[in-house]
Amino acid sequence: MDLNICISGAAGDGVKEAGELCGRIFADLGYNVFIYQEYQSIIRGGHNASVVRISDKKIHSHRKYYELLICLEDYIYRMHSPYLRGDVIFDSKFSCEGIGIPMTEIVKEEHEPMIFRNAASIGALSAYFGIDFDTVEVMFRERFGEKAEDDIVIAGSAYEYYMKNYSPKMEIKRNGPGKKLVSGAVAVAEGMVNAGLEYYYAYPMTPASPVLHYLVRRKGVVAYQPESEISAISMTVGSAIAGKRSATGTSGGGFALMCESIGMAGIAEIPVLIIEAQRSGPSTGMATYSGQEDLEFVLHPSHGEFPLVVASPYSIEDGFRMAGELLNLAWKYQTPAILLTDKHLVESIETASIDENSVKKQDIAIIDRSEEIVKRYRITESGVSDYAVPPAIVKINSNEHDEFGLTTDEAEIRKKMHEKRMKKDKLIEREVSDSAYHLFFRGQECIVTWGSTFGAVYEVAEELGYRVAVIRYMRPFIPPKLRKAVVVESNYTGQLAKMLREKADIEVESILKWDGRPFTPEELRERLG
Amino acid sequence: MLKKIEWCPGCGNFGILKAFNTTVEKLSNSGIDRGRIVVVAGIGCHGKLPDYVELPSFHTIHGRVLPALTGIKLANPDLFPVGFSGDGDAMNEGLEHLLHSAKRNTDVTLFMHNNGVFGLTTGQFTATTPKGVRTRTTPYGNPEEPLNPSLIALVSGATFVARAFAGDMKQLSEIMFEAVMHKGFSFVEILQPCVSFNNTWDYYRKNVKKIKTPENFSDAVRISIDTLNTGIIYRTERETFEEAMMRTK
Repeated sequence: MDLNICISGAAGDGVKEAGELCGRIFADLGYNVFIYQEYQSIIRGGHNASVVRISDKKIHSHRKYYELLICLEDYIYRMHSPYLRGDVIFDSKFSCEGIGIPMTEIVKEEHEPMIFRNAASIGALSAYFGIDFDTVEVMFRERFGEKAEDDIVIAGSAYEYYMKNYSPKMEIKRNGPGKKLVSGAVAVAEGMVNAGLEYYYAYPMTPASPVLHYLVRRKGVVAYQPESEISAISMTVGSAIAGKRSATGTSGGGFALMCESIGMAGIAEIPVLIIEAQRSGPSTGMATYSGQEDLEFVLHPSHGEFPLVVASPYSIEDGFRMAGELLNLAWKYQTPAILLTDKHLVESIETASIDENSVKKQDIAIIDRSEEIVKRYRITESGVSDYAVPPAIVKINSNEHDEFGLTTDEAEIRKKMHEKRMKKDKLIEREVSDSAYHLFFRGQECIVTWGSTFGAVYEVAEELGYRVAVIRYMRPFIPPKLRKAVVVESNYTGQLAKMLREKADIEVESILKWDGRPFTPEELRERLG
Repeated sequence: MLKKIEWCPGCGNFGILKAFNTTVEKLSNSGIDRGRIVVVAGIGCHGKLPDYVELPSFHTIHGRVLPALTGIKLANPDLFPVGFSGDGDAMNEGLEHLLHSAKRNTDVTLFMHNNGVFGLTTGQFTATTPKGVRTRTTPYGNPEEPLNPSLIALVSGATFVARAFAGDMKQLSEIMFEAVMHKGFSFVEILQPCVSFNNTWDYYRKNVKKIKTPENFSDAVRISIDTLNTGIIYRTERETFEEAMMRTK
């Protein structure tokens, strides 16, 4: 079974929530679910859509065409009808051909605000799929607890209305034990926590904000919104200096403001993790749409030379694992690490199977007592010195410094200290060499991709006879050994393709997209076929 | 082991360093070990200070002293983060951090060296340079009115505001001690001559006045407006940022 349902309405109609609730019903019934949220940077009005894909196979993507469209506004129907390949359920406050449900009337009768039409749409779609209303009721109770009653009454009225006037189109049966829905943002946040995150500082910026929204409520983590992105990364640095695992998160614009501090963390050897969730750029660009345009920027964020880790997760599960991996690496090698992700990954929701054991905190030795000044920057063979935090007498310095952290501009010390830092790059390279990219399927030809674009690629590659290499680490960059590759990514210039051509001498053919919408399997089938 | 001091002979920084060392001594005698006093400094002549003290320290980038102090304090409330910044470092680049640190009453201390000029970059005007003063970048006179740092800290919500003079070490070290011990955000503006680019020794020696700490906020505002008034201008208590944050954890 494979279904693609689109729930659409104006901003403020509760469409995002409706998508999640719909996904929950199917996840509770044991199906695999993927939810794509498309919305505009508008609080009321405009156009929002939640695309819920349901399958008995493992999926990481929504589809382009829908088997069912649920529509709350007439002008929105016109936007979606080209993608409709099945029925439409609509609020009969406007006229349309299809399954009309008097959602506005039902909500009015219960004296509830219009946002409750999202509960009515859940009732109607459950009836359409022949899902037992008990399942719907249980879902509402699990989601809203005691506050679920109003939703249940409204969903129930819509369900009854449907059953009286139409007949169910399908009979969806349980497909095994219930599954859990996880968003990319929560996966990334929990991955960091698994690796010991204690402090998180971030300034609001779409699409990175959901990580902050989640962590401010999570026990065990202190999360805070300071006055700017510059302040956010400076506080992150401060907490790391005090010995606590800390991170910050933002999108491209905020990341630009953090750049000076990233180089500072490099020379001062302070472990910080920065989440960069890409959106369509440049500048303000399209704030609520996805993209993969920041790769080249993030690889070289600050002046001067310093060791840096840049990696990008390709699925929600990988987001969990990688967030932890990078926090561990940052601390082990005492240098900044960047998790480069995108709107489509952090804001999508999936029945992801998070493996708690896939990443654990790797402790490092920390000196926290001393009589005299610690040799914080001791020149070592490996390039890694002992980490030390106050109350040890430790001197951290953004100036070039000697082994004690005292400022210097002496040529000999500079030569040795810069070399010591840069040596860490090699160690990091050795450490990540086995997880630099992941391979899937067999096939003559190879598709190379990265980030959330993997979701759509994964779905069509096998049937089209391709194998897939998905790049996880961009710095250090350890590309797969290939002669030729088709490179799929969401930008105009083919940034990963360029790296593969220039650094690995791979003959590349690019498949690109830069309209802010993620690739769908249908689109890829057309362009790869 | 520490570095040889590189400030110009006669620099106001000598007095500030000496007063701070006295303060550290006094803090140690009050049971606060040296390792718990964490010095953070920005960029400028004041920024060399971490190299001259045997304390944990962090020499950060221009203008970002306060958020670093905040991150340190929140991560380890047992520490006493003490910041040093210049007028360029606190009033030009990074001014927003002062307003927000005062507003959130984060339990850290900031000593702001105010010499009214960029010294280390050789004599350009700053946000506290008086109107009309000729500097390297204002050859026809500074076209802007100066900011009043203590007044800004006060109206932004700082719970301890003081002004001191680098030439009065006794008063300065007393204020420094009180500032570090104060629970909540402490801001100390230190009037300081720059012997190379803005030598105000004689002017300050002749004109600075000592005030008694006023009883209420509006008197404090009035007193802070006269930039030659020195002493503890305002002191009050309210919940600190760290207390508020930890209450929910």
